Amino acid sequence: METGRQTGVSAEMFTMPCGLEASNKDGIPEDLDGNLEESMDQESKRRSRDVMDLTADDKEASASAPPASKRLKTDTKGKKERKPTVDEDEAQRMTNLLSAMSEEQLARYEVCRRSAFPKARIAHLMQSITGRSVPENVAIAMAGIAKVLVGEVVEEALDVCEMRGETPPLQPRHLREAVRRLKSKGPFPNTKYKKIMFF
Amino acid sequence: MADEEEDPTFEEENEEIGGCEEGGQGKRKRLFSKELRCMMYGFGDDQNPYTESVDILEDLVIDFITEMTHKVMSIGRQGRVQVEDIVFLIRKDPRKFARVKDLLTMNKELKRARKAFDEANYGS
Repeated sequence: METGRQTGVSAEMFTMPCGLEASNKDGIPEDLDGNLEESMDQESKRRSRDVMDLTADDKEASASAPPASKRLKTDTKGKKERKPTVDEDEAQRMTNLLSAMSEEQLARYEVCRRSAFPKARIAHLMQSITGRSVPENVAIAMAGIAKVLVGEVVEEALDVCEMRGETPPLQPRHLREAVRRLKSKGPFPNTKYKKIMFF
Repeated sequence: MADEEEDPTFEEENEEIGGCEEGGQGKRKRLFSKELRCMMYGFGDDQNPYTESVDILEDLVIDFITEMTHKVMSIGRQGRVQVEDIVFLIRKDPRKFARVKDLLTMNKELKRARKAFDEANYGS
């Protein structure tokens, strides 16, 4: 089960960017390009490659380095010259990493990047709570946050699982222990009671 | 497989408990089962995760969204959900915060690219 665990780790490392890094998924899919079927119309190769990555990953890719405000509206063809070399570095590193992955790791990574909560259903859920319609990017943000949440819980649960010397298909008790641990760390659903700190 | 045996009993239990509650999770149709399975595999779990595990995660996600939505409605513009408020609430958690920022930037870029493409098409 070692490879399983390693796979989990490598998949995690690159889709859960640390808060401090500006991670960049731009270069990725030189390898996975062939697999990405949801391509948009291609007006220029460079722009379309980015767009294709973005739509295929369902907006799971992170932002590239220069802030969007610095770019002119129609001048996306000049993007290549304007981007700092940091991007090229990242792309190169990504390619190296991808070429070093095993089949199973690649498969897992691809599923990790592609999986997402459907925006429509999230929006529907939020609408039923608020009673009014929610703006589109709210649903996008919420879907993204929810995915990060699942990632955090699953990672922690895998930790718990390993610590207890058990094997992967995660059991409810691993998940519950993971939730218990994470509760103290971050904003976590706590609809049952209010924590009384001092008494 | 183990989950095939345990599944019916688990569902029954759930339904009993959830039956008298308003909006009890046991009775609610499973919203995110397929996506959650893929996600769990992607994050390191087995290729076929247990159904109970998927259920627990789904409940967690729905709880999270619900609570988040309620909080957001109470800050900023009352009764409305806006992106800035979400970003504000999430600020303490580095991963989620970074992720939201990235997604929103990506979205803007995409829109810009699409718009530019449309204009280019229209012109030529």
